[in-house]
Amino acid sequence: MLEIKQLKKSYGGRTVVDIKSLNIRAGETVGLVGNNGAGKTTMFRMLLDLIRPDSGEVLSKDQNVANNDHWKDYTASYLDEGFLIDYLTPEEYFIFIGGLHHLSVADVADYLKQYDEFFNGEILNRGKYIRDFSKGNQNKVGIAAALMQKPELLVLDEPFANLDPTTQIRLKTLIKSLKATHRLTTLISSHDLNHVTDVCDRIILLEKGLVIKDFHTDENTLKELEAYFAE
Amino acid sequence: MLSTFLSHQWKDFWRSRNKAGSIAAQILLGFFMLYFLVAAIGLGFGMSYLIQEFFPSKNVIVIFNGFILYYFLFDLGIRTQMQELPTLSIIPYLHLNISKKTIVNFLNIKSLFSFFNLLPLFIFIPFSIIKIGTTYGAITGIMYIVSILSLTVFNNYLVLYLKRKSINNIAYFGLIIGFVAVFAGLDYYNIVSVRAASNFIFMTVVKYPFLGLAFTLAAGIIFFINSIYLRTNLYTEELSTKDDKKVSTDYAFLNRYGKVGELAALELKLILRHKRSRGSIFMGFAFLAYGFIFYKAPMIAKDEFGKMLFAALFMTGITIISYGQFMFAWQSTHFDGLLVNKIDFKNFIKAKFLLFTISCTIITLLASFYGFMSYKLLLMHLAAYLYNIGFATVIVLYFATMNYKRLDLTKGASFNWQGVGATQWILGLPFILVPVFIYLPFGILNKPYWGLAAIAIFGLITLLMRNFWINLLVKRFEKQRYKIAEGFRE
Repeated sequence: MLEIKQLKKSYGGRTVVDIKSLNIRAGETVGLVGNNGAGKTTMFRMLLDLIRPDSGEVLSKDQNVANNDHWKDYTASYLDEGFLIDYLTPEEYFIFIGGLHHLSVADVADYLKQYDEFFNGEILNRGKYIRDFSKGNQNKVGIAAALMQKPELLVLDEPFANLDPTTQIRLKTLIKSLKATHRLTTLISSHDLNHVTDVCDRIILLEKGLVIKDFHTDENTLKELEAYFAE
Repeated sequence: MLSTFLSHQWKDFWRSRNKAGSIAAQILLGFFMLYFLVAAIGLGFGMSYLIQEFFPSKNVIVIFNGFILYYFLFDLGIRTQMQELPTLSIIPYLHLNISKKTIVNFLNIKSLFSFFNLLPLFIFIPFSIIKIGTTYGAITGIMYIVSILSLTVFNNYLVLYLKRKSINNIAYFGLIIGFVAVFAGLDYYNIVSVRAASNFIFMTVVKYPFLGLAFTLAAGIIFFINSIYLRTNLYTEELSTKDDKKVSTDYAFLNRYGKVGELAALELKLILRHKRSRGSIFMGFAFLAYGFIFYKAPMIAKDEFGKMLFAALFMTGITIISYGQFMFAWQSTHFDGLLVNKIDFKNFIKAKFLLFTISCTIITLLASFYGFMSYKLLLMHLAAYLYNIGFATVIVLYFATMNYKRLDLTKGASFNWQGVGATQWILGLPFILVPVFIYLPFGILNKPYWGLAAIAIFGLITLLMRNFWINLLVKRFEKQRYKIAEGFRE
């Protein structure tokens, strides 16, 4: 699904990302962990062609993401509030995003019904612009909009941050079920080791831009990670 | 305590993020302020001379007196639009052990540090000393100064109070402007004379100087009302403008343009739902008055279009210039979102052209009332219009690809230099020079209508080449987008 080759990015002489080679297969749920400054977000931005790498390339279905837009057909992402058009109402935003994927207004409304539980009645028909929502609720809008695009590849940056516990659990269930039903490939970064080990079947540990560890999760993973971060 | 607050404000002013980057803009703003101040001081000291010059047969003091209330009436109108509420700055203090009274005092004092409070002092006080003081004695002179100070303070707190109370800012702004306009109109047609009333009031002050304290009393009362209101409503969400329920809207007339229309609708919402962009549009309408300043009957009679071209270009192209100069930066907060989504950059650029064309057409139609002055102006407007939609749009969008400065849309547009960089300054040059150079040879050969035709034809040709421009801009955008996105993330 995704292939990263010799990917490098540095700012002011400081290397932020330096990944020799990384393969992500279709249907994998991959968790990216690492302290602040490990390069998680920068890597995601290069995956989504928002930052030009100093060298190396990101291939999505064997095509370089920087050269054409095909990856946008099957990739959905939510990194931060910068992805939301914050002066729209959530309804307008969903309709706009849906429109980009040829969903009619009715399709969008229909789709959103299944998220009633996820939204917990706090998102739709509240008479507010997205900018007036709390950070957690903005997150929900961003994540729901990403999922609405029926992606094959989903990229989420710290999706659990700012979410209330109920929604955190619901999000985990959602990702797991999409993996089972649609063979969704997911990339998640998180500081919450519990959640990542729970939802992901592969963990990549980054430190100062380098891949330190790359392994499949089992019952010892959480302990291992905690031990690493406690050092 | 108050001095601590004020020192924090001072630091806030000098350390704020966007200030450091745009020192040039700050300096220029400083020059503008200085210019206004010097103009005001000049007006203040030259008042008696100027009045004699313009109203030779009238009594200088009568004219001056008539001018005072007029000024403060207009001052009220301008303040409603331009003066900002000093509210947000108190948030970090509200939860601390600081009495409400101190915070209210701070808000009240902070609001006095406004350009609008400085201007009238420079305009009126010199005359009050030089002329009034010497004619009627020191006491009267002092009472004049007291009255002017009181009126300034009165206007200051009245506007703040009304702004805090008001729910819908725009409707209310219209009301005040209407109020001022009605008075100006009544005065103009000699039905109710503001000038006579003003003169009468100040003549009374001359007779009984201490009546000037009535203004002070009025200022005190409004200050008091404002303070009480603040004391009882010291919640930031209540002090900032109140929100109506937001509804989703759909612009049906844009739907026929398909994907491009969707993007244009998105941008239209952006314009209407942010303070800064709305402000730019307002200014655009204000620019419609440009013609009254620049179009002179003798010029029109002699077909001197070269001298009026500037005004015509600006009036018909104001939306392109004022909105276009910050192009792409309007969307800086969600630029990443636009890039990762399935948006064809071609449609993205086309949507901008569409919006420019629509807005430019509307403003040109509005400006056609100058046709009452002379049909020739309409010809000039037509040429300027074609140039604007044909070529000015291209210039603006090309420069937009070099603009990497994030724009904060929540602040008002007037005197706001946030997000201003080199591009905004250079942009105006080609915009104005290209048509001027096209016109110039015809102007020299004394063939003014050929000159207009040349501009119009140039505009038309560039308009027909639009697809070529779009491809060019898309290529440029593809190349620059990483840089733009990085700048906008700052």
